[in-house]
Amino acid sequence: MSIKLGTNDLAKYPFLNEASLYIKDTHFDLLEFDRSEMSFIINRSFEKIESFIKNNETRHYYKIDKFEIEILTFLASLLILKSASIDIITKKFALFESMRFEKYLIDDLKNSFKDETKRLILLKIFKEVFKIDVYAETKTIELYKIRVPEYIRRSILFHEQEWKLINRTVKDGYVYLDVSEIVRLFRNELSLLIIDKIKNMKSITFPKQVLIKSQKLKNYWDSVNKKTDVDIVNKKSVTPPCIDHLYRVLDTGENLPHSARLLLATFLLFSGKSIEEITEMFKKLPDFNERITRYQLEHLSGKTGSSKKYFVPSCEKIKMENLCHETNVCKGIINPVQLLGKRMKI
Amino acid sequence: MFFHNNDKSDLNDIADIPREKESALKDDFKDSKSHQNNQNWLKKNYKKYYFNFYANITLPEKIHLHEFGFRHFEGEKMHRHLSFKNSGELHAFVLKFAPSDIYCSSSLYSRPTEPMDKKEWGGSELIFDIDGKDLHLECALTHNYTKCHDCKSIHPGVLAKCTNCNSSRIYIIDVPCKNCIVSLKKEVTKLVNFLIDDFGIERSGIFIYFSGNNGFHLHVLDSDYYPLLSNERSEMASYLLGKGFKMETLGIKKTQGDKFVPLSKSKQLLEAGWRDRILKKLKINFYSSKNSDSDFSKQIEKLENAMKCDFQQMVLKTVDDLSVKIDPMVTMDIHRIFRLPGSLNSKSGLAKILCNDLKSFDPFNEACFFDKSKVDIVCFSPVSLLFKGKRYGIHEGNNHVPRYVAVYLISKGLANIDLKDIQDG
Repeated sequence: MSIKLGTNDLAKYPFLNEASLYIKDTHFDLLEFDRSEMSFIINRSFEKIESFIKNNETRHYYKIDKFEIEILTFLASLLILKSASIDIITKKFALFESMRFEKYLIDDLKNSFKDETKRLILLKIFKEVFKIDVYAETKTIELYKIRVPEYIRRSILFHEQEWKLINRTVKDGYVYLDVSEIVRLFRNELSLLIIDKIKNMKSITFPKQVLIKSQKLKNYWDSVNKKTDVDIVNKKSVTPPCIDHLYRVLDTGENLPHSARLLLATFLLFSGKSIEEITEMFKKLPDFNERITRYQLEHLSGKTGSSKKYFVPSCEKIKMENLCHETNVCKGIINPVQLLGKRMKI
Repeated sequence: MFFHNNDKSDLNDIADIPREKESALKDDFKDSKSHQNNQNWLKKNYKKYYFNFYANITLPEKIHLHEFGFRHFEGEKMHRHLSFKNSGELHAFVLKFAPSDIYCSSSLYSRPTEPMDKKEWGGSELIFDIDGKDLHLECALTHNYTKCHDCKSIHPGVLAKCTNCNSSRIYIIDVPCKNCIVSLKKEVTKLVNFLIDDFGIERSGIFIYFSGNNGFHLHVLDSDYYPLLSNERSEMASYLLGKGFKMETLGIKKTQGDKFVPLSKSKQLLEAGWRDRILKKLKINFYSSKNSDSDFSKQIEKLENAMKCDFQQMVLKTVDDLSVKIDPMVTMDIHRIFRLPGSLNSKSGLAKILCNDLKSFDPFNEACFFDKSKVDIVCFSPVSLLFKGKRYGIHEGNNHVPRYVAVYLISKGLANIDLKDIQDG
């Protein structure tokens, strides 16, 4: 059975192939973005990027406009980001855009148990975007299920215990998930899909309006992106490989799981960095929120809460959290902070 | 040369069960003349086995894409990163060299003879290893033996120190009994149930092999699981071992008053997997308490009183009882090479053999392929063995025993071949 997406679906999910086909079928030329009636689209795209980057805000963009406007806004956003070519901004945009799509998906999936057509459309989306078969279990329970290997491949990226296979319902080769869980499982992939779409744009002659906006974005980035090459630890000491790895991930604007943030923050606090310095570093995280970051750092340092100061997790704990990147320098240590001490004694 | 090996630098890789420590200790015994005699005699017998029973060997479909490894009687070193174009090449190699151990990768590689980082991995069977030593059985403390590295004496039972010279440099020789095999089979059955009920693997895709010594290997052929990487296989192993279980998975939570009550009714739960196993084992009927939280708490309290144990501890103990005692390192290691089905295990002289009927399988009958012709051995300690349905009471000193008993005891390091048998073959 051929499932045809409705225009409302295309408006909500403009990253789908059918949305690209729409652009192709209308023979839309990218340079048409320079036409005056298109300035609305360009401005809308830029405002959305700006809102994501500056305010970490998606909620103003939940309301869906006409599908043509949504598809063109998505396309213009990708063009601006491609032209600006700032990795961290691209990743941040991709994360927030995927969170926005996530909300639509959750709403649609919740309604899909009683609407077979809607359900088939959503399952088609999963197949097209994530190359995975998702099945609905609707007889006695309203859950979705995916094959065990497909689940494991994605869940191992999460560090929370609840995502471990043992804490899931596993039956006959399938893992059962509720609507929020299944959508959360694919957030990273949706984000990567958007990043890929931007990276794979080739040989483009950018419309002038796009170039103007991307320059504006670059200027903004230069102004806020003060040199944050915080020397993690004293140059004279060894940086533990696990910390070094996290620092490199952070530097590329990738997201870090909670356990990784905890490790990095406790380590930096231990090595004498101030909350201000660490907050500055964490600004590179795509979902950075200054208020929450400060609160958590103050909590870890014992300045608020139970005034308990959190110590750096042990190597054993780091290994269990899949954050260990052991090298020869780690021989004989049980906590990464020992490397600081070792080298300083020399 | 009819076998292929592009890498000569990496001959010390460990395959199958790591035995560095064991080897290091055994090395002291190896230079002796009697050790050489034993090895020569065993090699002749292995040659005969591979000549007469080569049909026992089960080869993977695409043999040329698998890595092979060998150990020889002449040394402990592992020779790996080898490949064979076809079954005939391997057959000729085995007959010529009569290796002490033959290994084959569970993985497929585009270039099996290259060093590991250049092999180009193309997926792997799922492998599970259930080893007797991981079951920590009480019987093992009495029927196994302790061999001293320093004074070379052998003592019945598992000891922390040598009773002769007080040295703690010892190693354990395992001689599994009927109870060990029964317990191993129980674990295998548990594992098979998990694989079918939870992972949806067809029974026809699960191959149960006796390891040739004191355990079982399960090979799973299921294309869905073939591409799983090491850390993904580790997650499967954790599931089977019951690691990381959260009480909330049962569908309950702890209240501020330290009572367990069902989670919100909107949380949908299925009677399946670990949750179902635990609830059934503890005989907790989740929905029998007319959906009242206090009734549920009473049910738990009643259970705690009856078992004289905190509910959380009770659940964790149940998880441990229900878990399968696999070796997780084996399952997650996609580059390991495994004993080839049908080949002999030099730790015992028994063959790694497919168990068509696990319930009736008797390794001391079905995995034993040497004849009953009598040979003379000198045994270091009294041993009681049940082979081919007959009990053998071996005493310390000279014994006249069937060849299969001799092969077993010499392989275990519990006896030497009597010199006159070297000429007899």
